[in-house]
Amino acid sequence: MKLFLEIALLFKRKALETIRQPVWIISGLITPLLYLIFFGPLLKGLNIADDNVLNLFLPGILSLLAFGSGMGAGWGVVWELQSGVIERFRVMPISRFSLMFGPVLRDVIIFIIQALFVILIGSIFGFDIHWAGSAVMLLLLSMMTAIISAWSASLGLIFQNIESLAAVVTGLQLPLTLLSGAMLPISVGPKWLQIIAHINPLYYTVEASRTLAKGTINSSAVLYAFLIIVPLTVLVLGWAAQVYRKAIS
Amino acid sequence: MIVIEAIHLKKTFRHRNRIVEAVKDVSLDISKGEIFALLGPNGAGKTTTMRMLSTLIPIDEGQAYVAGYNVKTQSNMVRKHIGYVGQLGGSDPNATGWENLILAGRLYGLDRDTVKTEAKKLMDILELNEIIDRMPKTYSQGQKRRLELALGLIHRPDVLFLDEPTTGLDPDSRYNIWGYVEKLRAEGMTILLTTHYLEEADELANNLAIMDHGEIIAKGSPQELKNQISGDVIMVRSKCQRDQLENILSLINILENKDKALIRECLIKGETIYIYVDQGSAALPIILDIFKKQEINIDDISLSQPSLDDVFLKQTGRRLQDTGKE
Repeated sequence: MKLFLEIALLFKRKALETIRQPVWIISGLITPLLYLIFFGPLLKGLNIADDNVLNLFLPGILSLLAFGSGMGAGWGVVWELQSGVIERFRVMPISRFSLMFGPVLRDVIIFIIQALFVILIGSIFGFDIHWAGSAVMLLLLSMMTAIISAWSASLGLIFQNIESLAAVVTGLQLPLTLLSGAMLPISVGPKWLQIIAHINPLYYTVEASRTLAKGTINSSAVLYAFLIIVPLTVLVLGWAAQVYRKAIS
Repeated sequence: MIVIEAIHLKKTFRHRNRIVEAVKDVSLDISKGEIFALLGPNGAGKTTTMRMLSTLIPIDEGQAYVAGYNVKTQSNMVRKHIGYVGQLGGSDPNATGWENLILAGRLYGLDRDTVKTEAKKLMDILELNEIIDRMPKTYSQGQKRRLELALGLIHRPDVLFLDEPTTGLDPDSRYNIWGYVEKLRAEGMTILLTTHYLEEADELANNLAIMDHGEIIAKGSPQELKNQISGDVIMVRSKCQRDQLENILSLINILENKDKALIRECLIKGETIYIYVDQGSAALPIILDIFKKQEINIDDISLSQPSLDDVFLKQTGRRLQDTGKE
């Protein structure tokens, strides 16, 4: 009970911060929309999908959005370390998990709102919405956002400066994105690329998202993705709470 | 009743592959309703000591008890009973003062109504009413510090930790903060503060410990400490040659050996000779006479009661006011 209250209070704090700076929500939306409008049409000429290329492309874009929504968490953490906010919370008798999870939840909720918006805009351009599949897809991608957000926040606590944080987070962003097949399905690439892609958790979410967006929930791609992402979520969130518990000098 | 007890606390940090002993051996006993100051230059280990006592960083060696709980094993109970206002402040710059206060109170477990009553009380005491609906990023340093004090007090803690509470404040705000802290003490709160301001420790603290290089070098009430250096301090500043100044020192030392009651101790720091004497009025003419006979110009001379800085100088050979600027 106390845990839920703490999480709710800390979530509200971060949510208010976002609502007061709506420019971040909008700028977060611009990237997926630009991809949709300026990159999507190029795929139509490539003959990679039998019917509607947007059904293939939009889940990829949403995966990128899920990834991007969590990435910025570390920047906020470094900022709040410098203003002493995190220190003040750390001397309070509250669970370290709530301290970590409140901001993560904010990132997840913002992602879901943005994703719904992208889906609706996508449908104007011809994306076929299957609500049940899309709901499961959003659940899967939300976990991805939570993983990235908790990971980025923890790195912020560990490095305590923007430079090192930016080097690691943005340094990993490009290879992880390219190897996820979010832009184009990895299956159109050579065998060696497909093999490497399998070590990237993001790859499984992208594959599963494509299947789910078509409305197919009962498939091996979806099962694999959940088998990988659920334990990974538990692992990363647990680790992140541990980082909050540990000393910050 | 002892409210804060530290027994041989130690803390080492690894900094760029170098091991830094931030706190070497610190023991403290702080009673209920007492203002206790840790005084010392930057890097003396004051903040590290306070961060160990307030559960922010683990204790490497030693034991600590705060408000009756073991800091190492009952950190959550300690957290319930302490308020902590760090050097950085920690108010959320993007939420209003009111939102900051309410959130803090709710996180400390107060219900909605209680937190509102408590917040209003604190707003009156700390004069926050006019700024409470604005965000701290629009506050002056003094206003911000007052809100941060309120944030640390919202749950009515038994013990309050204040890390450099008046650093960066103008004199007016500083005196205001001193006033609030004194009031809290009068209500029975136990307060541990760190400071590198001599006057702050002198004015505010019932007891203090002077720290340097991770160790306590002197402990007691301000008066007790100053009594160690009984009598007066004569400071003579002269822009003459160093050897001339040393010549004067040796002449005074001869006097010191002859008449210990007249001159107790004498040392040079920079361009200034510090002479600790029993009675300033008796010693001053003699000192002036020495300078006159040696035909050395005096640029500045003063006679004063010993300060905590003289205690620091005696123990370390450095002046606290100088070390702060290093």
